[in-house]
Amino acid sequence: MNRFAIPLALFAALVLVFAVALKRAPEKQFVRSALIGKPAAEFTLPDLMNPGGTVDSRSFKGKWVLLNVWGTWCYECRAENPQLLAIRQAGRVAVVGLNYKDEDEAARQWLKELGNPFDAVAVDKEGRVAIDYGVYGAPETFLINPQGIIVHKVVSVITPDLWQTQLLPMIEGRAK
Amino acid sequence: MRRTGIALLLAIFALPLLAIDAAPPLADPVQQQRYQALIHELRCLKCQGETVADTQAMFGEDIRRQVREMVQSGKSDPEVRDYLVDRYGEIILLRPRWTAGNAWLWLAPAVFLLGGAWVGWRILRQRRGLLATDTSEVDEVRRP
Repeated sequence: MNRFAIPLALFAALVLVFAVALKRAPEKQFVRSALIGKPAAEFTLPDLMNPGGTVDSRSFKGKWVLLNVWGTWCYECRAENPQLLAIRQAGRVAVVGLNYKDEDEAARQWLKELGNPFDAVAVDKEGRVAIDYGVYGAPETFLINPQGIIVHKVVSVITPDLWQTQLLPMIEGRAK
Repeated sequence: MRRTGIALLLAIFALPLLAIDAAPPLADPVQQQRYQALIHELRCLKCQGETVADTQAMFGEDIRRQVREMVQSGKSDPEVRDYLVDRYGEIILLRPRWTAGNAWLWLAPAVFLLGGAWVGWRILRQRRGLLATDTSEVDEVRRP
């Protein structure tokens, strides 16, 4: 009995460590954003829908903002579009697009075809603003509160379920 | 024969065309060396198993450009690392830094090695004790 006590205790400790780590790991999200709880980076970028104009991140201060990183080269963004349209319609947040490393003409065509869920679309052709947001792919979506703090990051398609159970409760202040 | 040789030689000289990092080297060799060292110790978050230096992903392209520009504008290595860690988190560094939260990563191998050595030493000592004192089993076998 005694011989096995120490290995057994060590094994139990290991199981406990793994259990806690698994429990704490955000769902399907390998990289937790380092930016949660920090101020969202300010940017002024060309306006996709209004050539010659610019989109200024400061103009959304005071509102909840859903910043969605997308591109026409991103298949999952196509699947995400209907949900973004529904969110825009619900009117709880300003939906801002960051068109990431894309072609303007293709992007406009894409929005015309699928429907434009965005209050504004900023063009980040070189992906420089994306680096400020710790973006490494698309789609990625940031939830930014009226004070301009990043509250949450989604590294996948926003599903109706994810909107209902994660994002909406944060906006309504119901989240734990 | 000779023509095959020339063709082969040309093919070899064309190999750099396959290089992932297509940007020309930095003018300052010291900076170029620092740039190379930095991108080899950054993780491609899009592909996880590759370094930023080795990846063809767009992410790698952008991070290489960022690092190149920062090195060129006179930023130090720690400044470049801090800049990226602020945005992407510690995970972007393939070699974890010495911080309070990371210390266990560095210390764990030594702890396990010492623990293993201690267990091994105890087993050896126990066995040596057995040989010297316990002859009962041997006597048992010898008995006809």
